[in-house]
Amino acid sequence: MKIRVVQRHGTALKDRLYLPAIWQGLKITATHLLKNVGDIKSVDVLEYPEEQPSDITNRYRGLHRLTHREDGSVRCVACYMCATACPAGCIFIEAAERTDGVDEKMPSRFAIDTLECVFCGYCVEACPCDAIRMDTGIFSLIGSRREDFVLEKEQLLAHKGAFDE
Amino acid sequence: MSTAALIVTLGSVVLAALLALMMIPVLVWLERRIAGLIQDRVGPNRTNIMGFRLGGVIQSFADVIKLVFKEEYYPGHIQTGRALYILAPAITFSAALLAFMTIPFADTLHVSGEALRIQALPVDYGILWYLAIGALGIIGVLFGGWLSHNKYALLGTQRAGSMGLSYELPLGLAVVSMLLTYNTIDFNAMVAWQTQTVLGFLPAWGVVVQPLAFILFSVALFAETNRAPFNVVEGESEIVSGHMTEFSAMKFALYFMGEYIAMNSAAAVIITMFFGGYQLPYLSSAELIESFGTFSLALMVITPLIIYAFIRWMRRNNDVRSTLSHDGGRRFEARVLTIVLLIKLVVLELIFAYFAFAQPSALQTQIAVAVVQIAVFIVKLMLFNIFFIVVRWTLPRFRFDQVQRLGWYYLLPLGLLNIFITAIVIVGVGS
Repeated sequence: MKIRVVQRHGTALKDRLYLPAIWQGLKITATHLLKNVGDIKSVDVLEYPEEQPSDITNRYRGLHRLTHREDGSVRCVACYMCATACPAGCIFIEAAERTDGVDEKMPSRFAIDTLECVFCGYCVEACPCDAIRMDTGIFSLIGSRREDFVLEKEQLLAHKGAFDE
Repeated sequence: MSTAALIVTLGSVVLAALLALMMIPVLVWLERRIAGLIQDRVGPNRTNIMGFRLGGVIQSFADVIKLVFKEEYYPGHIQTGRALYILAPAITFSAALLAFMTIPFADTLHVSGEALRIQALPVDYGILWYLAIGALGIIGVLFGGWLSHNKYALLGTQRAGSMGLSYELPLGLAVVSMLLTYNTIDFNAMVAWQTQTVLGFLPAWGVVVQPLAFILFSVALFAETNRAPFNVVEGESEIVSGHMTEFSAMKFALYFMGEYIAMNSAAAVIITMFFGGYQLPYLSSAELIESFGTFSLALMVITPLIIYAFIRWMRRNNDVRSTLSHDGGRRFEARVLTIVLLIKLVVLELIFAYFAFAQPSALQTQIAVAVVQIAVFIVKLMLFNIFFIVVRWTLPRFRFDQVQRLGWYYLLPLGLLNIFITAIVIVGVGS
């Protein structure tokens, strides 16, 4: 068996005195403090919510949206693939027969409970029709009641994609 | 008791209470702002009253209101010792508050033959009072932690006990060496001693005369006030909140405020014993009274410069980025504060001019000197509080057995050595 002897640090007198190290640390923190006290604008933070983040990439998984066909009707065919794939069980679909001749099936209700949702993106992966996406770039959802956080089909259809295809 | 004595006593008590209690919101705010600035963040700066945020200090008052109106939750599993459980935070709080009361804020006033101390508690055994009452704070911690019937609280209590064993001895030894040096237990006399000079040019501050005692004393005080790097009793990352785990609302707030008052008292004791207290370096009270005309002339020149620098700093920094049109009234606030500061400047200049050119009476000069000394004391106090805060955001936490090792293996022998050397020097100088 090979034995590697690791050299222990911190046994020198300078390390054991501890005070030089404290002095070094204080120098660092005091430098930051004085620099930022002198010029608060040098602190690189976002003045949220007045300033909104500008660095959301197209891979960011924001709030969901339901996409449309070319004729503007709902693309979803209510196949339940997303609801099956969902690890949080937060997608609720009720299917209905589609009568406008575009397709055979459509959801009469498509709701996502965003309080349950873990934003894993499995629904997007599972969808065979590219009907659900998470490319809205919306990262904050505000409501005063729990019911406000259950997004219904109309809301999901109204969300716009934030990025080009 | 004469009228003057009554006024001075009342004034000192009010001043001490204000300095201890009003300092809490300021310290909490400073703690959070300085933590932010050290870590390249901004810290709380949003809460405002009609656009006035005063750099964010309003946040502390909002916090106080929230804590006062919070539900008084009482854990149901605590069956025994309820009264003591509720009393425990008050013990810690009042011990910290009382420990602050013997600090002198200015030199003794001499009014018509009476010597009036500017101390809330005009006693001549200040350091003994501080040691005795300051050490009582831990009893509240022990009661609260034990009676919480909570494992984390119990662990915190156990740590508090072990901490007490670790730092009280070095603290006492450092104090003993200072007592040998000053040959007094009176804070006022200590400050008076420190107006001498050593080696002809250095002010004989305790930190110059006894640097080792200063290090021992401040390390022990960091431990006594439960400040980082010795905040093992709370140890947020390990034992939730230690003895405070089961306390909520105002009961928790009393512990929390007690901590800041203890820090404030510790800073006050350190500057009184090691940094010349309320004295300006090189200027004893007698010299200050004698040449107060010249001194106020100097103040007349310096004050506008300080206020000008402050206004420039405020106008530059009380502003959000220029890319944003909405600044939440910051520019209005800066403008109003500028006007207030200018009015203050004019008033101060008039007062200084009175003392520089008119013929003020001896009593007026004495009072003016006392006010100047109080101002000096507060500035020193704030600087040392800021030092406490910066240290907290610099150092990681010790383990509690490491604190014990530090106390017993290093600080205790060093303290004894320091007493030994001090005694030899004193005997050598005395003979």
